[in-house]
Amino acid sequence: MLNRKGILMGNKNILIISFILILSLLAGCGQDNIQANEKLNKNNDNLVIRLEGGDWGYPTPFLHYRRGPGAYKMKLIFDSLLEKDEKGLIPWLAKEWEIKNDGKEYIFKLNKNIKWHDGNKLTADDVKFTFEYYKAHPPVWNNLIVNGKNIIENVDIIDDYTIKFIVNEKNATYLERVGTMPIIPKHIWENVKDPLKFYREEAVIGCGPYKLTNYSREQGIYKFKAFENYWGPKQKVDVIEFVPVSDPILAFEKGDIDTLMASPDILNRYENNEGFKVTKNKPFWGYRLIFNMDNRPELKDKSLRKVFAYGINRDELVQKVARGAGIVASMGYLPKAHKWYNPDIKKYNFDIEKARKLINGKEYSFKLLIGNSPKEVKIAELIKLSLSKVGINIEVKSVDNKTRDGLVKKGDFELAIIGHGGWGRDPDLLRDMYYSSETMESNSPASGSLPGFYNEKINELALLQMKQLNFDERKETIYKLQEVIAQEVPQIPLFNTIGYFVFRPLKYDGWMYTYDHHYPEHCKLSYLERK
Amino acid sequence: MNKPIIGKALEYIITFFIILTLNFMVPRLMPGDPFTFLSNDEVGVSFTFTEEEIKKYKDYYGLNKPITTQYVDYLKNTLSGYLGYSIFYNDEVLNIITERITWTISLVFISTLISAFSGSLLGSISAYYRHRKIDKVLYFFFVSISQIPPFLIGLLILYYFGAYLKLFPLSGGITPFMEYNSYWHKIIDLAYHFILPALTLSFVNIGNFYLVSRNSVIEILSKDYITTAKAKALKKRRIVFVHALRNAIFPIVTRIFLSFGTVIGGAVLIENVFNYPGLGLLMKEAVFYRDYPLIQGIFTIMALFVLTMNLLSDLINKKLDPRLS
Repeated sequence: MLNRKGILMGNKNILIISFILILSLLAGCGQDNIQANEKLNKNNDNLVIRLEGGDWGYPTPFLHYRRGPGAYKMKLIFDSLLEKDEKGLIPWLAKEWEIKNDGKEYIFKLNKNIKWHDGNKLTADDVKFTFEYYKAHPPVWNNLIVNGKNIIENVDIIDDYTIKFIVNEKNATYLERVGTMPIIPKHIWENVKDPLKFYREEAVIGCGPYKLTNYSREQGIYKFKAFENYWGPKQKVDVIEFVPVSDPILAFEKGDIDTLMASPDILNRYENNEGFKVTKNKPFWGYRLIFNMDNRPELKDKSLRKVFAYGINRDELVQKVARGAGIVASMGYLPKAHKWYNPDIKKYNFDIEKARKLINGKEYSFKLLIGNSPKEVKIAELIKLSLSKVGINIEVKSVDNKTRDGLVKKGDFELAIIGHGGWGRDPDLLRDMYYSSETMESNSPASGSLPGFYNEKINELALLQMKQLNFDERKETIYKLQEVIAQEVPQIPLFNTIGYFVFRPLKYDGWMYTYDHHYPEHCKLSYLERK
Repeated sequence: MNKPIIGKALEYIITFFIILTLNFMVPRLMPGDPFTFLSNDEVGVSFTFTEEEIKKYKDYYGLNKPITTQYVDYLKNTLSGYLGYSIFYNDEVLNIITERITWTISLVFISTLISAFSGSLLGSISAYYRHRKIDKVLYFFFVSISQIPPFLIGLLILYYFGAYLKLFPLSGGITPFMEYNSYWHKIIDLAYHFILPALTLSFVNIGNFYLVSRNSVIEILSKDYITTAKAKALKKRRIVFVHALRNAIFPIVTRIFLSFGTVIGGAVLIENVFNYPGLGLLMKEAVFYRDYPLIQGIFTIMALFVLTMNLLSDLINKKLDPRLS
């Protein structure tokens, strides 16, 4: 048994020990021990870049995982006919292309002297083989399926370096769909029966700028080395290493990794500091609030949906939840930085009075389904607070993310919040999301999540833009489509996040953003010489 | 003599079946399925399955069959040693688990040994100096730390020794891409990465052993033969560690085997803090992706391990304590 004094005495010692411990921790925070002064690498010879790793699967088109950055690792090894830069699609394995026969034929002329990592030459034969193989064995990132069907009808070899695709219909998105599929070597894959079990070393022979030299699944590490006989622009980074990281901030400051996605709270450590450079990621990741009009038919009334649009303070969400690192989402869905964003559509600034007028004294209550991330919980609470002032009572139900996804997919919800990326993709995503039909399709996390919504005009425009190969005509339709969507409010895009990308420019500063993606580490051109 | 053994064996078999059944049911009771991805993280992207693909995969993994058929298949497969094929990782569950299990098991064994050894040492000291200052400090300290969640201790240790003092690596189980010129070199590197997670896990469990050994040594110290030993003017060290601790060792040994269950639980959390390549990280992801075969596989292996340890503790108890047989 302990006597009272004893406990106090023990307590005191503990207090002193913890006090010392805390003090020393604080000292650690104050002391500016960030390692910024890497030696300036003038020639970038043998430059090794270290990035946050983790296991995302064996980087073949079939074995990288369905989530996470595995696909971009695969793309370092496998080139495609076209590539993306800041502005749009650019020639890559194909030096030029032509669209003929009213959009039903695509002819690509390949560069010569393209070598696979094992020294063999790439020809049109490999390209034809690739697309036929993908028909029989769909890769993870399969752009070739539209409305449940493979879009390629035939692939013809015109000569060793010219290839013709015949597609099933005229479609504005087909160039990107065909152009961005990774090309695989025929001499290796023609004998592979089950690509899902093909873990051999040959499986990662591609014609891309990097060769995979090391991968360990259980440790989550990858090592990519520049391919010396690469056909394209010279690699500026010689070796890319992905290493396991417990805490990214600690690892970045210790110099274990060279880039960091920083939260606004720690940004001042790196801003105005010569050793670091901060860039803003593109706002192509966001949260949206969706309505289930099948379960709650009163939501079919446009003016009730507008009550939500006016009654939710989206500016507040950006300030309080994203800590300022975000923008209020466009009601026409395509975010401000999107190539096809229409700035002149109806905006819904927070306006309690307007919302009250629209709801006209009625009262409603809804169940709001959310995941369990702290951010979603915050969003839901803020929405609940501001809508209660309008007369809408919200009951928040938080479940784990996978459960939420499952319930939304089944249509078992009234209102739900979902966060996902891909907001920068081809505007055909508007069709994916807003077109209402029986068949739901495709690769988009967004698709088919507006149960009960139907709008003739939106359907019409969504189908029209898909057929317009002329840039200006299509742009006009897309603008119009955003306008109608903004008037109809089929869902509420809440806000798009802007991540901060921090790196050490003295070590490497070739980071770039393609026009449609938010993160520079994923862009192949970030590692290559630019003109 | 035979009856109790058969009874014990039956007990274990029934327990194992109950665990297998729970293993089968619990993942399937969780809403969501392995094929639905609507949301994703901020750096990631996700590719969803088309309806056609979902159907294909459900057939492939037998998820379309009636639940009873699935259960029977599962029991058959598990008993014949086949743990299934992971949906997310695209590989045999057994392969995935064997890659990682050594990391977890060595973490669990070594840290248990460390905490058992130092816990019982400190416990005996505490018992000998019962009611004195050193006992009170130790007692308070260990009672307090046994209440702190393991991941918090892990974070503190990670921050202090890894980031602030920069003495140890922040994550991983081995230096990536290192080429070793000797076997020793590799072992040293492994140990270097091993220290912080093992230290954390030992720290989490040391309180347990401390309390057990303190109690049993206190009990022994009140025995007559200890008074005799004291009367013979034997050295303190000899009385505590030879006469008392040796006789008090039996509950400690039992505790070692029984604690493996909780230690594995702690290891799962700590591996996540240090990004240590064991089963813990894998388990987190398996649950996150609703990868049924993988969840089942991991839990089956863990259950087997814990049951084996319990069995061992039963057997050793009998050996150590003649009264039980």
